[in-house]
Amino acid sequence: MDAKVIVFGETAIDRLVQWLRATGQPQDIMDLVRQYLEILSKAVREENE
Amino acid sequence: MTAAPTLPADQQRLAEDIYRLMVAQGAMFAMDTPIRQTLASLAAFLARREGRDRAELEAAIDLALSADSRFIREVVDGEVRFVTTRQGAYVPREDADTHSFKQRLHDPEHPLPIDDISVVVSTSRPAITTVEPVYISDYWQVQLAAAPVAPEPEAVTAPEAPAPVAEPVLEEVPLTPEAAPAPVEEVAPEPAPAALEVPAPAPVEEVAPEPAPVVPEIPAPAPVVEAPAPVVAPAPRPAQPPRSTVFTLSDGTAIDLRRPVDEIMAEYGDLLAQVLAERLERDPLQRIVSFGRKYYPEANLASFGKNDLRKIRDYILERNEPLLDTEIIADLYYHNPRQADYEGFRFSLNYRLHREKDFEFVGVEGAYLWATRGLTITSGKRVKAAEMGQITSYLVEGYDDSSELQSVEAVRQSGSVTRLLTFFEWEYGVLPLDAGLAALLPPPLLPDQRTAVLRFESPQHYTTYLVEVRFPAGNRGGWLQGLEEFFREHVAPGALITITRTGEPNVFHIVYEEGPEQTERLLTFDEKKNRFAFANVSFYCVVDEEQLPAQSRYGRLNRLKAFPMGERRKAELMLEHVSETIGDQVGTPAAPRYAVTLDDLYVAFNVLRPGSRAYLKALLERGEDFSADESTPGLYYYAPAPRASAGEVEEEEDEALEERPPLRQRYGRYDEDE
Repeated sequence: MDAKVIVFGETAIDRLVQWLRATGQPQDIMDLVRQYLEILSKAVREENE
Repeated sequence: MTAAPTLPADQQRLAEDIYRLMVAQGAMFAMDTPIRQTLASLAAFLARREGRDRAELEAAIDLALSADSRFIREVVDGEVRFVTTRQGAYVPREDADTHSFKQRLHDPEHPLPIDDISVVVSTSRPAITTVEPVYISDYWQVQLAAAPVAPEPEAVTAPEAPAPVAEPVLEEVPLTPEAAPAPVEEVAPEPAPAALEVPAPAPVEEVAPEPAPVVPEIPAPAPVVEAPAPVVAPAPRPAQPPRSTVFTLSDGTAIDLRRPVDEIMAEYGDLLAQVLAERLERDPLQRIVSFGRKYYPEANLASFGKNDLRKIRDYILERNEPLLDTEIIADLYYHNPRQADYEGFRFSLNYRLHREKDFEFVGVEGAYLWATRGLTITSGKRVKAAEMGQITSYLVEGYDDSSELQSVEAVRQSGSVTRLLTFFEWEYGVLPLDAGLAALLPPPLLPDQRTAVLRFESPQHYTTYLVEVRFPAGNRGGWLQGLEEFFREHVAPGALITITRTGEPNVFHIVYEEGPEQTERLLTFDEKKNRFAFANVSFYCVVDEEQLPAQSRYGRLNRLKAFPMGERRKAELMLEHVSETIGDQVGTPAAPRYAVTLDDLYVAFNVLRPGSRAYLKALLERGEDFSADESTPGLYYYAPAPRASAGEVEEEEDEALEERPPLRQRYGRYDEDE
């Protein structure tokens, strides 16, 4: 994924939902942001590799 | 022993007999499910039933069934078997799914030539900002990988390049099958399926010409035939420039995703949290919902019906105080915190109650309290919230000087705040929510939260008070209310009180410095007569003599007019009245001039309404009738504008009395004086 097309809060948000559902617990907003950054970083890295 | 039947009619009868036998055996089978029997089994069964020789019968059966079209003879491991079905001859099912709906959906019959995947999937943002996963079928992925990124002239003119795909479709393959490569040989007998399985834009276009929009993008047939086939020998894609790893927020902040997440969080964590929260809030699908700082998938929410809400409301009213969410769950739903879904259930409850108008969140972080319609949180509301919000508006207007005595940082570190009690605070049991108290008390958890309910405990008297914190909103200040009983029973105006945090986020301790018994004639407010008066009051706390409204020091305070609260919000008017009441007349009767110190003004002003020294100074500087004494710091003069003379006032009053009929005549009652 080209990071230029990332809209923070929209891009790959479905993956964040999947992670949140998998945890089964309400999560703090900071944990949510951290996980979202992990998802975006991974998507960008995979594309470049 | 009888001779074996050899006539065709016998064979026919035998075959019919066996067919009925086998169909009866597979009566529960599907119509096309094969029903198998070995020749030996059939012969053994019929030989026993008809009393015939088994060997002869076996030969007869083999002959009869082999001649019958309903049976298929097969030999497995030297054993002869016959197969039939309920619908007759067995036809093996073809499970080849060569043209399923899924395939038709993703593998078009007449595909467009593509130079980029964006031809297939639009990368532009839709009008509705819903982000949905885009499935790109393997077909298009292969097409994208095989398609040349940019047409190269030398590739078109290369004569030696083989064209194995185009030729078979053009009916040349059957003539030279041995020259064709292996994949083409497989599809050569059936040109049409080959075109589907090995789709190539050019041949398909030649076979079935398409509408105008397609034709301009498709090269002419001849060059395509000569062109190298990308499927067999895909041209190596030129190395693409490395893609960007930097994304930009709406405010222009650029963040490089190559950096460690911890580093990004440390620098932009709060900003990203704010942006993400806003985006999730605006998500039309509401896939992730929030309550406070917690986020949870909407699909995982537990449901609460009207009966649940009614039950919760009744329980809160029955307990007659705001209840914690954990209490509601434990008492009404018997959920155990050790259950795996406990936190999800708790979130669901809070989320649902927050959306209901009948419930109001009055908790803080760590203690989610719920009140409901009809619940009285603090007893006695002598001051309306709207009036109090306006009276304390000076706090949000920049006249909050509470941090001069105790800095905000000191309050946060020590976890306690100390302050002197004014008359208004003591009388009404309210405390303005200044910077010191705001630093001590927890902030609102929800953006639209107006109120929080805290529990103030008095370790000196083992009593507990519910205190309502009204948060500032807009140009209205905040305050605490609910301490009226504690103040009136245990302390006096001018007492030094200390409020301290405890281990519970919603529980605080309130203490005062105890002292020997004192009895003073202090200012009190007679609510029935609606006037101030001095009365003997005994108290057991240490007080600041400067702040104590004693008759010996502030003997004129009982002359203050008990304005209605609506009037008291007019700070300028109150200041003029206070200056006139407690100030020393240093002017003449015709031109009165009152001298008053700031300290006295502060005490007297805070009898009528709260106000900081900074606020008073600002009012004094703004007031046209006020002037500061240059030689004496803290001394001010109030020279009210000349009014109508005393004689004129008396005349006006006489006229008014003449016009007014006596009360006795008008209503049949006596005036108070009579």
